[in-house]
Amino acid sequence: MRLALAVVSLVVLIGSGVVVYDQFHSRWEDNQKAYFNQALELAKTPAERASVAAQTPKIEQTIVTAFGTTRIDRCESCHIAVDDPRFTSAKQPLHTHPYSEAMGDVPKNGRWERRHKFTDFGCTSCHDGQGRGLEKADAHGEEEFWPDPMLGYTTQSNWKKDIAAHVQGKDYMQANCAQCHTSKDFAGTPLVSQGRELFFKTGCYGCHRIEGVSSGTLGPDLTEVGKERKLDYLWGHIVNPRDYTATSIMPKFKLSDDDKKALVVFLKSRRGSSLSESSVESYRLTTTNVTPAMPGTTTLAGMAPVLAPAARGEKLIGDLACMSCHKLGDRDGGISPDLSYEGLMRDQPWLMDHFRTPRSRVPDSNMPAFGLPEEDFQAITTYLLTRTTPPPAMSAADAYKNLCSRCHGEKGDGRGINAIYLDPAPRDLTSAEFMVNKPDARFVASIHDGVGGTSMPAWGKSLNDDQIKGVLDYVYQAFVKEPRHQLKARKVPEQNPVPQSAASDAHGEAIFMERCTGCHGRKADGHGPNSLDISPRPRNLRNAAFMQRVSDHRLFESVEYGVEGTAMPSWMDYGLSQSDVGDIVNYIRSLNQTGK
Amino acid sequence: MGAAPKTNKQGEEQIPRRHFLAWLSGVGILGSAMAGVFSTFVFMKPRATYGQPNRFRIGRPDEFPSGARMAIDSKRVCIVREGNKVAAISTTCTHLGCIVAPSATGFQCPCHGSQFDVDGNVTGGPAPKALSWYQVTLTPSGELEVDKDNEIQTGTYLSV
Repeated sequence: MRLALAVVSLVVLIGSGVVVYDQFHSRWEDNQKAYFNQALELAKTPAERASVAAQTPKIEQTIVTAFGTTRIDRCESCHIAVDDPRFTSAKQPLHTHPYSEAMGDVPKNGRWERRHKFTDFGCTSCHDGQGRGLEKADAHGEEEFWPDPMLGYTTQSNWKKDIAAHVQGKDYMQANCAQCHTSKDFAGTPLVSQGRELFFKTGCYGCHRIEGVSSGTLGPDLTEVGKERKLDYLWGHIVNPRDYTATSIMPKFKLSDDDKKALVVFLKSRRGSSLSESSVESYRLTTTNVTPAMPGTTTLAGMAPVLAPAARGEKLIGDLACMSCHKLGDRDGGISPDLSYEGLMRDQPWLMDHFRTPRSRVPDSNMPAFGLPEEDFQAITTYLLTRTTPPPAMSAADAYKNLCSRCHGEKGDGRGINAIYLDPAPRDLTSAEFMVNKPDARFVASIHDGVGGTSMPAWGKSLNDDQIKGVLDYVYQAFVKEPRHQLKARKVPEQNPVPQSAASDAHGEAIFMERCTGCHGRKADGHGPNSLDISPRPRNLRNAAFMQRVSDHRLFESVEYGVEGTAMPSWMDYGLSQSDVGDIVNYIRSLNQTGK
Repeated sequence: MGAAPKTNKQGEEQIPRRHFLAWLSGVGILGSAMAGVFSTFVFMKPRATYGQPNRFRIGRPDEFPSGARMAIDSKRVCIVREGNKVAAISTTCTHLGCIVAPSATGFQCPCHGSQFDVDGNVTGGPAPKALSWYQVTLTPSGELEVDKDNEIQTGTYLSV
């Protein structure tokens, strides 16, 4: 018993000794002592030596109140030599902060005078990090919970390895310079300017809003993104948005590493506090080359030549970087549909409506409403309508490869390069179960007239009937690889036998809510809880442009007999009568009535 | 288990094992208690406070021309330069803590009329003692640094 007590008490003594030592012995004290020793050796006069010798280690802190919130920076507790020019070649932490004329430091009487004095600016206003921290990991913000790790210097433990290497370097500090130096072309922050330009050039502004800069609504507001996100997230999210948000519709843009870096720095500088910004309007002024009239000079000389609408449209398409998503001729953004034959596929009202509100024509489109002036839309439409040169005659295999594979995929599996951005997704042509039993007429119609409410355009003016037939045959031969067969005759009414009425709609809605919402969703928009696990995805039954072109016959057949090759079951087997189906069809039709 | 002291062959008294253990336990427990009390008392005195630091830089000597008497009210200190000699005199009145203003004859307190000469010695009014002088040093970067924790004798200048 006594032996145990003695052992325990000694262990407690050692333990408390370790704790006391740990609490009262700090790295910053060691660093300061090392600095004092070296300073003592470097001291030239007895007075200087005496003043160094009189110093004892203590917490050095700068209280900065000039920049928004009060900062308390204790960085100089370790980095005590930052303002001592004799330590330029010393190792960190006892290293002199570099002097640089680019930062406004000026040499005076053989000594540098700083533009940004540490007593006025502190350290974290430029570097970020945790100013109060006295341990290295805390102060540099290496802990993953700390929102502002030292910009470009510190990597947090939970950062992905491949990203961490890209977000190193002092260049990232430009994001903090831009907190005060907000003017558009400030020489000290070239990356911010480059990133801002890219924000317009790659069309980011179309989806994202930044207060005072852009007004997109499709994507998240980025006004304060620099405050909310760290470098690794910004970088990784640009590289592949779906690594972070599985359901993100943000495209993967083709950007070089330099461009990504500039964008990350620009985004990191968005902290919601900048005072002046360049807006979409001023960016457009630069693209149209209209120099704002200087007072006292004639305006005519500076005016851009008035272009014909089509030529102006072509120029606008280039200036507005439409091809960072779309394909036009040789330039291909790999995200959105090919515009090369647009004049053969769409007409003036379709294009104008689509420009004003893309989702009025393709309800699940990810194209932003760019909100340009009406005459710009008209100019671009005029230009696109001149794209009427049909593709040259070629073999069916080449026609598929050149015209279809961008969406439907080289292997016909519906996974072309831009397939993930299209909703509804391109049809998987290798799904024999779906393909073999549909009548030719339906596929020919889909190719010839396009599919309303989707990205499938009408090829009727670009390909003649023989070519369409040829492509269809090629699809069957190359992808379906199974013989076509006619289904047994089905008893399906041509017209809905149940007349439209409030009672019928209500009954249809009741059945729909009971049986269909698992996949098609309570709003019938195809986003039911099971929809993510189903391929092809359940149809959005509120896609009016699509639904208006679907006959009652096809709806009845799909509900009663199911759709082969999809998850849609045969509801006759689950006890739905023909009048029930009629009610459901009436309900779905009632959802898509326009002008209601 | 008897507790009587044992003797070895030579007849010397041995410390009984259990007494030794009890002594050892005592040392352990008392020692950790003392460490605890010690650290508690040390923690009572904060190592850093949130006031403005008492040691601060005021700029380069050439910012203060000879003959200048420049009061920095936010730091409550007056920088005096005569020739190549620099000193820092407190501007906190020793009477009730108002900020004294430099005047033609030295310093003048606006609250109760205390008067000081150019070196801060009391020449009139209710002030009980002279204004303090603080140590001024030249940092390696060439700036003057005032240490308000370090009072020095009136009339001690730093040569620059």
